[in-house]
Amino acid sequence: MSNIKDKIQEIFRDIFDEEELVISEETTADDIEEWDSLNHINIISAIEKEYKIKFALGELQAMKDVGEMIHLISVKSS
Amino acid sequence: MLFNSYTFIFFFLPVAFLGYFLLNYNKKVEGAKVWLVASSLFFYSWWNVIYLPLILLSVLLNYKLSRVLIEDEEGSLFTKKQYFVVGLVLNISLLVYFKYMDFFITNVNFISGENFELWHLALPLAISFFTLQQIAFLVDSYEGLVKEKNFLDYSLFVTFFPQLIAGPIVHHQEMMPQFSRLKNKLFNYKNIAAGVFIFSIGLFKKVVIADSFSKWVHHGFDHSQTLTLIEGWVTSLAYTFQIYFDFSGYTDMAIGAALLFNIKLPQNFNSPYKATGIIDYWQRWHMTLTIFITTYVYTPILRSFSKITFFKAMFATFAAMFISGLWHGAGWTFIVWGSLHGFALMINHYWHKSKRKMSIFLAWFITFNFVNITGIFFRAENLSQAKDILQAMFTGNIMLPIQLESRLVQLKTYGVTFGSLMGTSRDFALATILIVISFFISLVLKNSNEKIEDFKPSFLVLLLIVPMFIYSIYNMQDVSEFLYFNF
Repeated sequence: MSNIKDKIQEIFRDIFDEEELVISEETTADDIEEWDSLNHINIISAIEKEYKIKFALGELQAMKDVGEMIHLISVKSS
Repeated sequence: MLFNSYTFIFFFLPVAFLGYFLLNYNKKVEGAKVWLVASSLFFYSWWNVIYLPLILLSVLLNYKLSRVLIEDEEGSLFTKKQYFVVGLVLNISLLVYFKYMDFFITNVNFISGENFELWHLALPLAISFFTLQQIAFLVDSYEGLVKEKNFLDYSLFVTFFPQLIAGPIVHHQEMMPQFSRLKNKLFNYKNIAAGVFIFSIGLFKKVVIADSFSKWVHHGFDHSQTLTLIEGWVTSLAYTFQIYFDFSGYTDMAIGAALLFNIKLPQNFNSPYKATGIIDYWQRWHMTLTIFITTYVYTPILRSFSKITFFKAMFATFAAMFISGLWHGAGWTFIVWGSLHGFALMINHYWHKSKRKMSIFLAWFITFNFVNITGIFFRAENLSQAKDILQAMFTGNIMLPIQLESRLVQLKTYGVTFGSLMGTSRDFALATILIVISFFISLVLKNSNEKIEDFKPSFLVLLLIVPMFIYSIYNMQDVSEFLYFNF
């Protein structure tokens, strides 16, 4: 799990262009000002590439929450 | 049947509510669902029963299609993808047929110089909303997120009366677990209290605030060619507040009515006029539509490109907003409105990307004025009417209330005139006061959704809500439709 979180954190740092960014399972789109619809898609695509998985459209909204994101990745990549 | 009618408040809602819980209380769980679907269809048919077959057909077709999408492919004549595409085409065609035929014919006539007759089809109530909801459902079924195998449950999902006519747009995944939870089949006094509370707030917003603005908006738009500068601003601001209190009032009533049945509908407004950017605005205004458009329009467009770049994302943003404009109405005014918002979103994204900063007040000021000005296109019957109002606002003659004439008479040398604005002096004064109050409510106060989060029944709340409710009921004589019923 923490492995997934570290990887997501790296993706976030890359996309938001902030080297110091730290996320937790409680982080949501409300906590990061730059996390809008555009960056959300960028995050999703980066995760899809990293884990070679594909998310359904109906799952994207729930993933504006890091905890939910980690959960879905672990389900899909296992 | 309108939420703001005596029939709904004193007959339909209590009967539907009591019937539902009595049946559940007697362990007739299926019967209670049948009751709720039947009530909802009765509610829908109250306007015009001729569209009842249409919604039934749409529900049945989408249910059948989704069954094919979730079942094994073996032995099937077509692939799932083919069924899925047929489903999308059917839903969109139905909407296009009823909503866009005349717009299409008018434009063909204009371009070709022909004179094909218009069809004058009345827009079936709620079609724009139940079409979106069912498209989302088909996509989710196709992608394996939902598996609905009960026709009664599916009918309840689409027709549940609080959200049937104008949203909030709900997802199968968030609704059905709530309907099946055993606890939700029992009387819940806290939910009833909270439901009545938010319903009353919504009723007040609609009947007292929005309907007061309605008169001045009508007056302003009807006299668009003769408006003076101040009248232009009063008219556009009156509309900006009318549509907010109308639609968020409707939504509060929907959320309140659903809470009586222990169903929590999603939030649809989060103080949109506090927004400090147009991206921010769309995350606060008609939120369930924004989520729908982002998920099922913007994302598929963007994903269809092999590599996502900023430029392509901007294209997808504009395209999504353009489609959203057209969804709101078949007319060039809506296309202009959607395009302007599309451009603004692009500028806002570019601004973020280049990491520029702006003072909060300036950001709010630009955003609010942009929303107010584009709102004119949203309301206007045609582009030239919108142009008239814009001209009044920016280059109109300055006329001040006649009461000020004796004190400011020297201004006459600068071309200022004196007279009665907005028809009568009383109307102008009331409109101005209500605009100031509306600014205060929508910029300073907590919104109804925040209030419901920390809602605790108390005598103080009762003292506040009972007069609001009675005053609304008293003002309900002229029943007026909600603006969003036309979309």
